[in-house]
Amino acid sequence: MNLSQGGAWRAAADGDRLLLAAVAGGAVLLLVVFVILPLWGILSYSLITPGGLGLGNYARYFGDPRFVSIIGNTFEVSLSVTAATIVLAYGFAYALERTRMPLRPLLRVVALLPIFAPSLVQALGLQFLLGRNGLVNRTFGTELDIYGFWGIFVADLLYAFPHAFLILSTALAVGDQRLYESAEALGASAWRSFRTVTLPATRYGIASATFVVFTIVITDFGNPVVIGGNYSVLAVEIYNQVSGQANFSMGAVIGVLLLFPAALAVVAERWIARHQHAAVGAQSVPLRARPNRRRDLLWLCYCLLVGAAILAVVAVVVYASFVRLWPYNLSLSLRHYAFDVQNGIAPLWTSIQVAFVTAGIAVVVVTLAAYANHQLSEAVKRPLYFLSILPAAVPGMVLGLGYILAFNDPAHPVYAIYDTMLIIAVCNVYHYHAQGFLLATTNMKQISRTFEEASATLGATRLGTLLRVTLPMIWPSVLAIGAFFFMRAMVTLSAVIFLITPSTQLAAVSVLYLDDRGALNQAAAFAVCIMATVIGFLLATQAVLRLAGVRQVSLIR
Amino acid sequence: MFLELRGVTKRFAGLTAVDGLDLDIEAGEFICFLGPSGCGKTTLLRLIAGLESLDEGTIRLRGRDLGQLPARRRNFGVVFQSYSLFPSMTVGRNVGYGLVCRKWPRPRIEARVAEMLALVGLGDQAGKYPHELSGGMQQRVALARALAPEPEVLLLDEPLSALDAKVRESLRGEIRDLQKRLGITTVMVTHDQDEAMEMADRILVMNRGRIEQVGAAQDLYWRPETRFVGEFIGRLNLLERGRWQALLPALGEASHTLFAIRPEHVRLVGDDESVAGPVGEGQVRKVAFLGNMTRLLVEAEAGLVEIEVHGPLEGAGVGERLRFVLPGEHVSPIAADRR
Ligand SMILES: Nc1ncnc2c1ncn2[C@@H]1O[C@H](COP(=O)(O)OP(=O)(O)O)[C@@H](O)[C@H]1O
Ligand SMILES: [Mg+2]
Repeated sequence: MNLSQGGAWRAAADGDRLLLAAVAGGAVLLLVVFVILPLWGILSYSLITPGGLGLGNYARYFGDPRFVSIIGNTFEVSLSVTAATIVLAYGFAYALERTRMPLRPLLRVVALLPIFAPSLVQALGLQFLLGRNGLVNRTFGTELDIYGFWGIFVADLLYAFPHAFLILSTALAVGDQRLYESAEALGASAWRSFRTVTLPATRYGIASATFVVFTIVITDFGNPVVIGGNYSVLAVEIYNQVSGQANFSMGAVIGVLLLFPAALAVVAERWIARHQHAAVGAQSVPLRARPNRRRDLLWLCYCLLVGAAILAVVAVVVYASFVRLWPYNLSLSLRHYAFDVQNGIAPLWTSIQVAFVTAGIAVVVVTLAAYANHQLSEAVKRPLYFLSILPAAVPGMVLGLGYILAFNDPAHPVYAIYDTMLIIAVCNVYHYHAQGFLLATTNMKQISRTFEEASATLGATRLGTLLRVTLPMIWPSVLAIGAFFFMRAMVTLSAVIFLITPSTQLAAVSVLYLDDRGALNQAAAFAVCIMATVIGFLLATQAVLRLAGVRQVSLIR
Repeated sequence: MFLELRGVTKRFAGLTAVDGLDLDIEAGEFICFLGPSGCGKTTLLRLIAGLESLDEGTIRLRGRDLGQLPARRRNFGVVFQSYSLFPSMTVGRNVGYGLVCRKWPRPRIEARVAEMLALVGLGDQAGKYPHELSGGMQQRVALARALAPEPEVLLLDEPLSALDAKVRESLRGEIRDLQKRLGITTVMVTHDQDEAMEMADRILVMNRGRIEQVGAAQDLYWRPETRFVGEFIGRLNLLERGRWQALLPALGEASHTLFAIRPEHVRLVGDDESVAGPVGEGQVRKVAFLGNMTRLLVEAEAGLVEIEVHGPLEGAGVGERLRFVLPGEHVSPIAADRR
């Protein structure tokens, strides 16, 4: 190297490098504090026994047959729901992407409905339909009991369905018309060309959706807590141990146990995502499905059936929120919207505030982390990237409990915001950090490096380029990321359930408490308010984007 | 020397994109980097611009080491192949961008923007957005933007290759005129030999990260030093000494084993014409009529030879026999390889 000492020093002290180092360092520091410390808290707490550090808690856990059966339950329900969701969602996505049946746009919206509501809404809807006093039992005089495995199965199936559907329909939307034409020219039957062309071409999508659904189901808390009955799963058991019995060390043990399968699924999903790029060549001919009356009609029947199931569960919640007393007095009334029980309407406002704060912080944190990751050289960015997507592997219940164990200590600097709305927002930001970060990274990759280089050669500093060139180009996707976090913050239950206080009660938690007390109609009304807020916010954001002439940004993730 | 490159080297994960390259560029000259795709032209240009960091070597501007000076402090204007105008800014703001970064006062910026746009013939387009302009206009705006801050050097990376053939032709002339008028030192990367020969004062032919030859277009065409240069610029017959000995004029140095002659220099001789030196004979294998000339592939005893004949040509159908000579003044020894 011909660099003189002075030159090297000047280069190191260059403002641009300092800025990048500060942004990357700040992002890493925050991730360490708000992700690693809580995880460390859980891990170390699980090892603390009255007799010093050791595996005593684990031994106690595995020595109790009830606990062991919970692990069996968790896997039983996660695996079966995953299998069922993938099959059903694949068919639905196939019909929407590969046939010319009518009503496709409407069915797409219906399939996405569950995303706009807290997970326990499915369970709530099932109670209204199939519960002891549900519509079915009262109408047909049956004695169906939905509580337990089948309740969780159906509720989580509906809850995970849109997530699988989004991934699978993306996989099915792309395809090479030429392959199908040559398969047909070779005399392949429809079934054969599906097996030999479609299925292999979408195998990455299927695998990816499988792991995503598995993670969602194994970490879901809302549905099993409402409709699980005596059939307990890990996510609910953490809650019971911590909130019910204040048994933090057992909560921590379960947290660690839950961390493993979720982390494995996420690692597998990321591995697949990295290897699926070359699936469609640049020159492939886009697919055009040809009309086929009989086939389209059959698929339409299937989709209407699935769509009806999704819609019925949501619709019954909406309906129940407007009747006097489900299921005894079905006359319409607005009295449940008076919110005169518990804290009244306050939790909804708190939720909206938290959602705005979450979105505001997340947009800055996630965009800057993705920006630093984009600018840093391959070797240096590894730790930042790893920390940024690590939260995907951390179930909400684990993160929330980790926050208690790590920060509920007056000596800890973060304690200053403990018991405030801010810690809930921060927890949301880091709970969904991976998804937001990956969205932002994808957006940054899409804009050509040339713009930044052109700006640099014209004399702009890095900050100047970021503010004047990069942000004006990516603001619609930054807004979309904000919308994603707003939506998540409105509906999430798992992580925040450990962080709320009487003065920072959230809407989704209110639904749970009201349901718990048997105030099903009020719970329904609250859930409707959440859904309405989320949908209203998305529509408003969509309108802003339309007004600005932006069309290609999708707000639904 | 104005711009001085010494031992410039850049590696990418095991691949040496630019390999110990030395070059002097004079003030005010227009130099082209020419070579096949992947030979390292862009990398070399980016090293000069400061968009890549040097692994080895030095780059000096008027004797001052540019070393690790970041791109934004070099004051070099760069025009990229495509997509470099900021889509969220008007043409006027694009052109003024470098001046805003340099904190010029507003009235001066406005005057300079107007001046630059007039210079590239787009005085009335300041309020438009890039996507409203054609590709050729966009590149002219990019040129105006690069020139606005009065850069020391103008660097162009295949600025014309994304454009239609017609636009490309006219822009070649425009860029060259502009460069002469402003007297700005200019480096242009291209893989198109016509473009390089038409525009540049000097051409640097690159191959696998190294210089094959540097010189004016005429030097490269008439006196290619390596087989690579000869074949890359125009067409070339390569004659191995062993096989072609009888037809080659008395050539001195015995150390040369490979000789070259351009197809248009091979002269056909009539049946009744008498010639002083040795005459070759062969059978026509291929005939390509190209309008103003005809290209023949002739199989002689020693091997195949390509002959280009200008003007009308008779009696040269496939299968016919022809006589030709290799005029001594056009046969030159050539190196098989630089290394
Ligand atoms: N950022 C990079 N990372 C890795 N390899 C690169 C990079 N940029 C260029 N290369 C490689 O260096 C060689 C020279 O590239 P380049 O300078 O772009 O060639 P040219 O402009 O002559 O077509 C190529 O083999 C290319 O693949
Ligand atoms: Mg190039």
